[in-house]
Amino acid sequence: MRLRIVNLGVTFPAPSGPVQALRGVSFETRDREFLCIAGPSGCGKTTLLRVAAGLQKPSEGHVERIPSAADRNGQILLVSQERNLFPWMTVLDNAAFGLEMQGVPRRERRERARRLLARLGFEGREEAWPHELSLGMKQRVAVARCFLSDPAVMLMDEPFAALDCLRRMELQQELLRLWDESHKTVLFVTHDIEEAILLGDRVLVLSRQPGRVVAEFPIPFRRPRPVEVTMTDEFLDLKRQVAAALGLALRKEARVP
Amino acid sequence: MREKRIRWLNSVAGSWWLPAVLLGTWEALAQLRWINPLFFPAPSVIVQTGWRMILSGEWPSQAATTLHRMLTGSAAGLVLGFACGLLMGTLAPVRKSLEPLVSVLNSTPKLAVMPLLLLFVGVGETARLVPIALTAFVTLAMQTLDAVRSVEPGFVELARNYGAGRSALLRRVYFPACLPQIFTGLRLTAGRALVITISVELLGSPDGLGRLIWLAWQTFATEKLYIGILSTAMLGVLFHDGLARLEAKLVPWGAKPRGQ
Repeated sequence: MRLRIVNLGVTFPAPSGPVQALRGVSFETRDREFLCIAGPSGCGKTTLLRVAAGLQKPSEGHVERIPSAADRNGQILLVSQERNLFPWMTVLDNAAFGLEMQGVPRRERRERARRLLARLGFEGREEAWPHELSLGMKQRVAVARCFLSDPAVMLMDEPFAALDCLRRMELQQELLRLWDESHKTVLFVTHDIEEAILLGDRVLVLSRQPGRVVAEFPIPFRRPRPVEVTMTDEFLDLKRQVAAALGLALRKEARVP
Repeated sequence: MREKRIRWLNSVAGSWWLPAVLLGTWEALAQLRWINPLFFPAPSVIVQTGWRMILSGEWPSQAATTLHRMLTGSAAGLVLGFACGLLMGTLAPVRKSLEPLVSVLNSTPKLAVMPLLLLFVGVGETARLVPIALTAFVTLAMQTLDAVRSVEPGFVELARNYGAGRSALLRRVYFPACLPQIFTGLRLTAGRALVITISVELLGSPDGLGRLIWLAWQTFATEKLYIGILSTAMLGVLFHDGLARLEAKLVPWGAKPRGQ
């Protein structure tokens, strides 16, 4: 599936007058593309994903969903930064929740979830409760649940933002490995420039409130992309350019009262 | 192993030495006739009386009556209270129309309506059951309402995002999310319903532990009075423990109960 975002604007009511979170945002994901959106905090990234997921109505513009032959279903699933897991379900039931909602029989869904969880280091811990897990492990379960559902589009809202640097690198690599097998359309939002370049086929830069697309960078690195990619000159050069675009996005806003 | 046993002994000794000392002193004072046995019969005498009451079948039948009365009354109230709380929590119009009524009822001492009931339905079991049922009803309705309203909207959204319909939402999100607080409601109900049951029996009943206590006081059978009081306390502890065990089984994910 492709998402075509057309002239999207979202305004929230607030005590001190309406706040414009997004204005005139237009872009299009390509089919089976990993698209990263980098932006400073408060640029409406989360709002953008919530609108794309259909959890929030835009004030202006719209989101077009263009199905493709590779879709197994029409689902657009969101993985957020936290509170992804139901505390009352075990790791296994959480991971299998998407399959459960799709009506996959209990035995089969548990078996499939178990297999994927084993790859992510959960052997013997499938029956643990979420409160017993570290944040990194919780996010792994959330990512596993999303991939098991095999949705048409995955929306990821800074899923690794709260992790320390090493955990984040681990999870990024795991995500890349999983994604390399399926190449589903992903819209990944982050404020971490390095993460955006490492993961994405393309990086869009969003300006601060109200968010607008101010720059676009195609990412040339071949997949699979090991961590070492981030240490090449080419990568650093790209990082500099994206940072400049982001800085520009910040500075321009700073001048506007 | 040995250390474990010592620690266990320590903890038992730590929480039981005071009752043991008090009972021992009481027994000694009563044996020495330093205290009036009419008010404070020796614990050994009370135990003997209790044993006789068990053998004669008096205690089992009265305790069973009270237990049965409390459970019958509560069961009716709990079912209606849960349904009402759920409806109020999920449907705004229902809440708007019912909440004032239920919260007024919640702050009314349920025993106060008993004379009115006697007027309506006459002296009988119905007049005794209704206050118990009312207590269970309002307690669970209020807790369920609060539980449903404090379900994290993020979880509802998450389930919806994965395609959960109405019934899946109820089964997989609302119900488990509310369960800890429903148990809080059940514990509160157990305590309150016991108080009401005993009070109702004290006020006028042909049987039950409350009746036993009342009769004991009228005939100056002080030992029986103590047995009656002890039995009600035991019932209370029994319910509290039973519910705690059940909760540990049904809420194994380590949620902290709210709204206590």
